[in-house]
Amino acid sequence: MGSIEPFNRLVKLAARAFYDDITTKGENQPKTGRSDNRGIAVVILDALTRRQWVREEDLAKDLKLHTKQLRRTLRFFEEEKLVTRDHRKETAKGAKIYNAAVAATGDGQQTGREGDEKLKMHTHSYCCLDYAQIYDVVRYRLHRMKKKLKDELESKNTVQEYICPSCNKRYTALDALRLISPYDEYFHCESCNGVLVAESDKLTSQDIGDGDDNVRRRRHEKLKDLLTNMEDQLKPLIDQLGRVKDLPVPEFGSLQAWEVRANAAGRTGNGDPNSNDPSKSSQGLGFGGTPMPYVGETKVEVAFTGDDEKGENIKSINTNAPMKILPPWMLKEGMNYTKEQLGETKPEANLGGKSVESELSDDKKSATVNNEAKSIQDEYVKAYYAAILERQREQEEMVKAQESSNTSTSAEVSTMLTDRQVGMKSKRNDYDREDDVEWEEAAPPTSSTSVHYKVDLNVEAEAFEDDEDDDIDWEEGGSSSTKHERVHASRPLSSTAVRRDSRKEFMQKRHSIGSLQREAEKIEGSSGSPWHRPEMDVLQKCDHDESDIESRFLAKTFVKTKKLLVHVLQP
Amino acid sequence: MFFHIVLERNMQLHPRHFGRDLRDKIVSKLMKDVEGTCSGRHGFIVAITGIESVGKGLIRDGTGFVTFPVKYQCVVFRPFKGEVVEAVVTMVNKMGFFAEAGPVQIFVSNHLIPDDMEFQSGDMPNYTTSDGSVKIQKDSEVRLKIIGTRVDATEIFCIGTIKDDFLGVISDPGATS
Repeated sequence: MGSIEPFNRLVKLAARAFYDDITTKGENQPKTGRSDNRGIAVVILDALTRRQWVREEDLAKDLKLHTKQLRRTLRFFEEEKLVTRDHRKETAKGAKIYNAAVAATGDGQQTGREGDEKLKMHTHSYCCLDYAQIYDVVRYRLHRMKKKLKDELESKNTVQEYICPSCNKRYTALDALRLISPYDEYFHCESCNGVLVAESDKLTSQDIGDGDDNVRRRRHEKLKDLLTNMEDQLKPLIDQLGRVKDLPVPEFGSLQAWEVRANAAGRTGNGDPNSNDPSKSSQGLGFGGTPMPYVGETKVEVAFTGDDEKGENIKSINTNAPMKILPPWMLKEGMNYTKEQLGETKPEANLGGKSVESELSDDKKSATVNNEAKSIQDEYVKAYYAAILERQREQEEMVKAQESSNTSTSAEVSTMLTDRQVGMKSKRNDYDREDDVEWEEAAPPTSSTSVHYKVDLNVEAEAFEDDEDDDIDWEEGGSSSTKHERVHASRPLSSTAVRRDSRKEFMQKRHSIGSLQREAEKIEGSSGSPWHRPEMDVLQKCDHDESDIESRFLAKTFVKTKKLLVHVLQP
Repeated sequence: MFFHIVLERNMQLHPRHFGRDLRDKIVSKLMKDVEGTCSGRHGFIVAITGIESVGKGLIRDGTGFVTFPVKYQCVVFRPFKGEVVEAVVTMVNKMGFFAEAGPVQIFVSNHLIPDDMEFQSGDMPNYTTSDGSVKIQKDSEVRLKIIGTRVDATEIFCIGTIKDDFLGVISDPGATS
């Protein structure tokens, strides 16, 4: 298995190049603005690059999509040979094996699942990117595009088509023998005997004529433009193809093989003698499939140590294989760079924490109380504060967006209102907000000069060195963000206390940065991310269980906080 | 492209041919039946060059006809995409021209004729360059490249182009006179 990052980049570029405006619309759906789901395809592909094998329901949940819609898109991708899918009937046990595999790979995208016991032989679908095939598909597609344009350009190897103006019947030159009439020198339609007209090439079908010089020249120019445009615009993609050419393709194998492998890797990872939390290693073993009764299954995400994470990473995903240093022009293309994350996440983790105290006095206290483990509580609170912060920012943006886009706002606003009226706690809204962040994360950071914020980081790092050290270690372990969060959760209490003090200092600094940032974003308006559409918001609000939210929130906030802060801290 | 291949066919022979020259009868009937036909798979059967074997005859109940499985060698002609052939122009019209390369009909549409050749209608419709040096009319010989084939069960039709290097009228003074 090779490094996966260049391939992910390839997928993302290809998604934006070719699947940007794919809509998967049912025939009977009204063509309102809300059902305009262009861009979903890109979002799904992006999400898949962050996962390996994933159950489609989980993916749908994570993306806040309807399973139906997701399936339709995935089926399309399957036809396009971008993803492999697997369907199987499985019981709760089968699901557990899969869960274990997911937990072992540590990609952390899966959510806590309480309903395992309820599944009784349901058919589940899984999907996964097929990198080897994607590489070929993209290459072939480019080849065909180029060939078609070139052929048209030289009007070589093209079979002339004829069309009957009266009955719109089409013929090709291969039918010529049947079409000639003994009386005049034109082709005649077989059904209506009308005179056929030569149809100019499909690419430039607007100028139907009998091919006099002018038309021909114009067509020629147009084709040439098309060709150069194509080469210009697809250059990043072609470059990426070239870069990926000699790399070993990451191969996940079939679903079963992957599960076995991931589980094995997870087990060895958990067996690591360095693990400093005794409870988690036993849990990890239990997940391997041995049917022993163990408690706290849903908390598995929280309980890994960093050492474990590292071990697993090497064995299962290999994201930490040495990466090429990317040229500067690539940095703005909207990818997760490990380096970047490394820099940005550090301050984030810290700043979230110190704000906690002030916010705790709010109504949310009750939510945190029921967590026994102090460390978890600490993290939760941190995340929560960050979420609030994000929400405020989002609302500001929302106001802007509403002003700018009159059409879509009404729908959005109404759904938001209903959400609140139903009596959902505001937490739920937070949850939604956070997911917005995930969408946005797919978008290219508009103008991030990495040099700039690295300077910021160093300043902050001095304030609390002990934290920073830890963080750096974890971050280097891999690009997957949840790992980082799990690590935090399992940390001994003492360090968090220390951290809290230093955070207070840091808070003041961060505040100034944050306000600057907010200003900057106001100026930018909502243009920051092409994927953040009002429709998306609506989609995301689709049904969640209240009960569900609590646990998922816990797990997710960790991820989200980080991403969000990455966002906030960008100068 | 021409191929020399072995094909097999079941020949039905009337009882009246049974006699000393039964074999010759089979061969002559085979030639009459097969030569000049076209199969989508092998192309046009141009000529039979020899008989490989004649199997045991099977008498049909009721009719008295006898069926012999015959293996024979033959030359077949099958046009391929990308192949360059020489052909004789049979008809010229505004849409292009038709030509024949042996048994195969080829159509060259006007957008696959070089841009400098113009259609001239009249008694003898033709395509002529602006300086009049090259003229494509009925019975001209052209070299063309096949760019598409339509193969039916009993028919092969091709479209060709002369818009490429070394294609067009074959300027052999003896041939065009």
